[in-house]
Amino acid sequence: MSDLPGKVAATTPTQTPLLDVRDLEVRYSGVPAVKGVSFHVDRGETVGLIGPNGAGKSSTVLALAGAVRASSGSATLDGVELTGHSPEEVVRLGLSLVPEGRNMFDGLTVTENLRLGAVARRSEVPLTAAIAEVVELFPILGEFRDRPAGLLSGGQQQQLAIARTLLAAPRMLILDEPSLGLSPTAVDVVFDALGRIRDAGTSVLVVEQRAEFTIAFCDRTHVLHDGRLTLALTPGAAHDADLLTKAYFGS
Amino acid sequence: MHFGQSLIDALSLGALYALVALGIGLVFGVMRLANFAHGEIITGAAYALIFTWHLGPVVSVFVSLLVGVVLAILMELLVFRRLRTTTPATLLIASFGLSFLLQRVYEALFGTNVRTAPVASGLAGTVTVLGLRLQILSLVTIALTAVLLLAVHYFLTRTNLGLQVRAASTDFRTARLLGVRADRVIMLTFGISGGLAAVVAFVMTVQTGAVGPTFGVPLTVLALVGAVIGGIDRVIGSLVGGFLMGFASSFFSSWLPEGIVRFRDAFVFLLVILVLLVKPAGLLAGSGTVERT
Repeated sequence: MSDLPGKVAATTPTQTPLLDVRDLEVRYSGVPAVKGVSFHVDRGETVGLIGPNGAGKSSTVLALAGAVRASSGSATLDGVELTGHSPEEVVRLGLSLVPEGRNMFDGLTVTENLRLGAVARRSEVPLTAAIAEVVELFPILGEFRDRPAGLLSGGQQQQLAIARTLLAAPRMLILDEPSLGLSPTAVDVVFDALGRIRDAGTSVLVVEQRAEFTIAFCDRTHVLHDGRLTLALTPGAAHDADLLTKAYFGS
Repeated sequence: MHFGQSLIDALSLGALYALVALGIGLVFGVMRLANFAHGEIITGAAYALIFTWHLGPVVSVFVSLLVGVVLAILMELLVFRRLRTTTPATLLIASFGLSFLLQRVYEALFGTNVRTAPVASGLAGTVTVLGLRLQILSLVTIALTAVLLLAVHYFLTRTNLGLQVRAASTDFRTARLLGVRADRVIMLTFGISGGLAAVVAFVMTVQTGAVGPTFGVPLTVLALVGAVIGGIDRVIGSLVGGFLMGFASSFFSSWLPEGIVRFRDAFVFLLVILVLLVKPAGLLAGSGTVERT
């Protein structure tokens, strides 16, 4: 698993990757869901994680974010160990997760949701300027700033979920199925914004079910199958039917 | 009894129960814990008033507030924090246990008999307003409650920490993923709840002048029931439900015919059953999951 194709030297000023996951294992009441996963994300890199339902994708990223305990293995962000920390500490270390399902605080307004995202803000940039920045990225949020989040459409909620997470100023942004349940137009809006977030220098890890799409979007895409990484694909593989089949049904 | 007078009495008792229910509802929001031991915080703060009243009202009220806040925070640190990841049923049973334990501790420390002191006895008098003979304490209770509700509302809607409490009450996991510190928010909520309990203790102690080991129990039981009929998953639900319980109790006391009035609580709970039959999740329960596109 260590000789994954990547472009380590090309994009990093130092030799250590930003996010380095080694032999990560997650068990739920003893039952393994993630069985020793290793991968890395370099600075400025966008990495995908695909695989069928129940492959362990969400468990992997929840463990990185501190929301579930890793039973063994390690994950470091710029050399700092993440496992064993609570979610609120992990955010302060610079890794933020937009969990699956948007998770809106329905009764809170768009602005209040954004203010919450800044609770663990790691940047010196004033909050008002930062909010203006995310509103530029997602204009709809400026328009609906006083609307309760529960009244937004699914696509708008996903934009809000990403926007409020950005206000923590993460170095490593992880998104769990950002396209889930969204209309094609909404998916375009979300991934267009992700493209710009990536271009601004944030490292991104995207968990998705939509294989072709993700492989084309990311610098590198790992395939997770039954709790293990099986393949690493580059954008060229997006239209390689054989590879995709292998990715999903095992080699 | 004059209608206006009984209305003020009912408003005052409703306000008192609303304060108890608010304290319980705030904690329920962040912990999914209906803290039965809230009554023992009230009792503790009431004992503090009784034992320190000779030191002067300012000192005594301050000590009582401190006891309320510290007791509530200790409950969180020593008991509920360790049980946070268990089921709501476990939390509830633990709070029952804690409640009984503290009652026995009070009994051991201060005896089974009530302890007395003339706490703010000046407030026990009456004033005549527009021909109505009103208890000063009733008016003070209503005013205190109004101020505290405004303060809590301001805190929840206008401050950053209040925003975090609201977020944690809606979805704690997501709040933590955004960086909301669980321990801090929960401890703060227990602290506020303890402070509210101390205010309740003050009003009750002025009224009765006597405190025993189970001083806070009846109030807590009724307020908890009130919180449930109002909809305990929302702060406003607890508040309104608590108010209705107090209001209804007081009104039944004033207006039930002689001979039936001793069955007052039966009438109150009949009302409770009717409400729950019609709205099982509470009068102001959240609408649950909203369908989204």
